[in-house]
Amino acid sequence: MSDATIPDPEEFQDPLENYDPKVYADALEQALAEQTVDQIRHEPMATIAPDVSVGEAVKQLAGLHVACLLVEQDGELLGVFSDRDVLDRVALEFDRVKDQPVRSLMTENPVFVYETDSAAAAFSVMAVAGFRHVPVLSLDQKLMGIVSPQRVTEFVQQHVPAT
Amino acid sequence: MGLQQNFHDEPVSRLSLREPVTAAPSETLRDVIGRMRDKKLGCVIVVDGDDKPVGIFTESALTQLLGRHGGQVVNEPIEKHMASPCTWVKLTDPITYVVEAMQLKNVRFICVVDESGRVAGLTGQKGLIEFVADHFPDQVMVQRIGGTPYSNKREGA
Repeated sequence: MSDATIPDPEEFQDPLENYDPKVYADALEQALAEQTVDQIRHEPMATIAPDVSVGEAVKQLAGLHVACLLVEQDGELLGVFSDRDVLDRVALEFDRVKDQPVRSLMTENPVFVYETDSAAAAFSVMAVAGFRHVPVLSLDQKLMGIVSPQRVTEFVQQHVPAT
Repeated sequence: MGLQQNFHDEPVSRLSLREPVTAAPSETLRDVIGRMRDKKLGCVIVVDGDDKPVGIFTESALTQLLGRHGGQVVNEPIEKHMASPCTWVKLTDPITYVVEAMQLKNVRFICVVDESGRVAGLTGQKGLIEFVADHFPDQVMVQRIGGTPYSNKREGA
């Protein structure tokens, strides 16, 4: 191929200005498309080691007034332990399971989002997949935070004031 | 039409309402936990003899109780631990009432009642998120459902 057939980038004649910008229905649609998960509040997060007892994990949930603990070891996400796990697997069996390690009753391999995913990705995990608490990871798999329904609702209210 | 306008114009009945778990005030927590598990719901609406809401008990409150008092607390009556009054909206109220109630009262669940004040459904944060998802399918419904790391290697030859 001769040099004459290769277009010179400096002379490219179809700049983005030639295209109409995307038109959104409102500020929330624009935010869902153009903002990232990083722009939904995802901190603070509460973490716990996998070998801590279920009884202690329940005390931490109660004491910290949070609905979900991220179970992690050396920065690696192993699972989540939430109010729903307490309801489903602990409440009626408390005395029997309170000394077991939390890893035995946590929800393993939770669905997560990357902090660079679009904000809509977090909505999708909640609305389509049905998970209430969505861990947020960096692209190198480091745990960065958690998005909850409360934080997503705040995001909606921020862009669509109720009044 | 923008979402804000929809919040004002559309009634609560347009949200995807859940069929609630209801309980009499004298039932024990143990009685209702099984029903919450079966219906995969995070709260119980406590009702009077006319099926009108008098309180609400959430899975979050359950965790608080277990953390403070241990496993025996499930044998106590729900009326001792329910939050009262229960926040409610009518089926015919605009959706914006749900948004406002969650904002002002910092609650996750909102009881929905019919014109006579009887329990007709349950909504809240999840109902609102699903409404947003339905409103913007081009943004939300096309997303990869997380969980799979991006490949470091390029595909193909």
